[in-house]
Amino acid sequence: MTRLVDVPTQFDDRSFDQFTASWVEATKDGDRLLFDAHAAEWASPYGLVGLLVAGEAARHKSGGERALLTVPTNADVVSYWARAGFFQEAEELFEVHGRVPKGKSREESDVLLPVTAVRAAEDVHEVVSKIQQRASTILASELQLDPKATMGFAMALSEACQNIVEHAGVGGWVAVQSYNWRRKLARRVVVIAVADAGVGFRHSLEPTQAKRFGDRWGDAAALETALIQGVSRFRDPGRGQGLAGIRRYLARWDGKISIRSGTARIAIVPSWDDDVPLKEGLPAFPGAQVLIIIPEQGSAKR
Amino acid sequence: MIQHIDVHSVLQESSAGVYTNLVTRPTGRVVRERIHRVIASARGAASITRMDFNGVGCMDYSCADEIVARLVRDWPAVLLLQNLTDGHREAIQGVLVGHGLAVLVEQPDGTLDALGTPAAAIELVEQLVAQRLARRLPGGTFALIAT
Repeated sequence: MTRLVDVPTQFDDRSFDQFTASWVEATKDGDRLLFDAHAAEWASPYGLVGLLVAGEAARHKSGGERALLTVPTNADVVSYWARAGFFQEAEELFEVHGRVPKGKSREESDVLLPVTAVRAAEDVHEVVSKIQQRASTILASELQLDPKATMGFAMALSEACQNIVEHAGVGGWVAVQSYNWRRKLARRVVVIAVADAGVGFRHSLEPTQAKRFGDRWGDAAALETALIQGVSRFRDPGRGQGLAGIRRYLARWDGKISIRSGTARIAIVPSWDDDVPLKEGLPAFPGAQVLIIIPEQGSAKR
Repeated sequence: MIQHIDVHSVLQESSAGVYTNLVTRPTGRVVRERIHRVIASARGAASITRMDFNGVGCMDYSCADEIVARLVRDWPAVLLLQNLTDGHREAIQGVLVGHGLAVLVEQPDGTLDALGTPAAAIELVEQLVAQRLARRLPGGTFALIAT
């Protein structure tokens, strides 16, 4: 039997828990999954890397059998997914059904970094190198970011990707895109999305932190420990610098970070956003998903 | 005596010429170990080790911690950083403050600046002045005497 997982029409961090709820329901019996994206009208980098995570987790659960994926019927949408590099990574994880454009360039002005696999330190080097070549001019010209901010951007990206290499236990994906965020901000933003299907924050920190929290230990406590207190699973005093550095960078440039892991999501929320700082009791989803948003500088806030 | 370390060359040697950015902990660890070997192999004990970052692209927080913070913490000679970009400074500053450490930076005009915790920075400068390796300039800035 095949179970259906609905991909939301507008697939981003806001609708992600609608997707994970559908995922939890469909994975109950261990049947083959069909990810239905035919009605998708838009997907953010967060949605795309999150879908890959679901595909990887489904393949793992089924002992290697790929899940099915129906691609969006809207030609523009499927073309964007192709340009964003989604299908190159998806073909290993899904049996793809529907027309996928072939041979189109992945170098689009809004796609600063197409969906890219991150498995080892070498991949992080490649990601940083690519983003420096591709993004610096765009970040400065389109987002009016100070050159200092573009350098910090590469650092933040590097640290977000290293979380996969150092803690996830499996590979993951990163994607970077700039777009005009009319719905929320009426200005341009650049978005980094990083996701993996690994062990998650709670499992990673449990051996060193669980005792300290006792009954309160869980996904939310693990996320708070990592993001707010800057604690790493490594006892070395120098560890935990990555997320702390990202926080400093975002505080300076009015950016946002949210991390979802297991059944919780934590966020550092800037004044322009109405997200909640911590949400618990979400549908369980594998690994960790990180979203970083840096808004255009200098224009009037909402 | 001042010993000179070309960090970009060390990075190139460490990565078979592939990398220009100081990112990831494994890379930082390899680069620090090579710098350790270079310093240890020098004849005579240097009182100052000058690390030149010219040509180094991005440096992330992990590498700032793995290289600069650990060398400052563990190495007996005074470290002096040179040719830092604003991005390098940002990474190093945050990491050193987290450790309660400081490091001296040689500016293009030869004066000394510091990154990290102010109290640790003052202590470093006083140490150099006491050892007659640096002197106070009119206007309250400092510069090296040794070259």
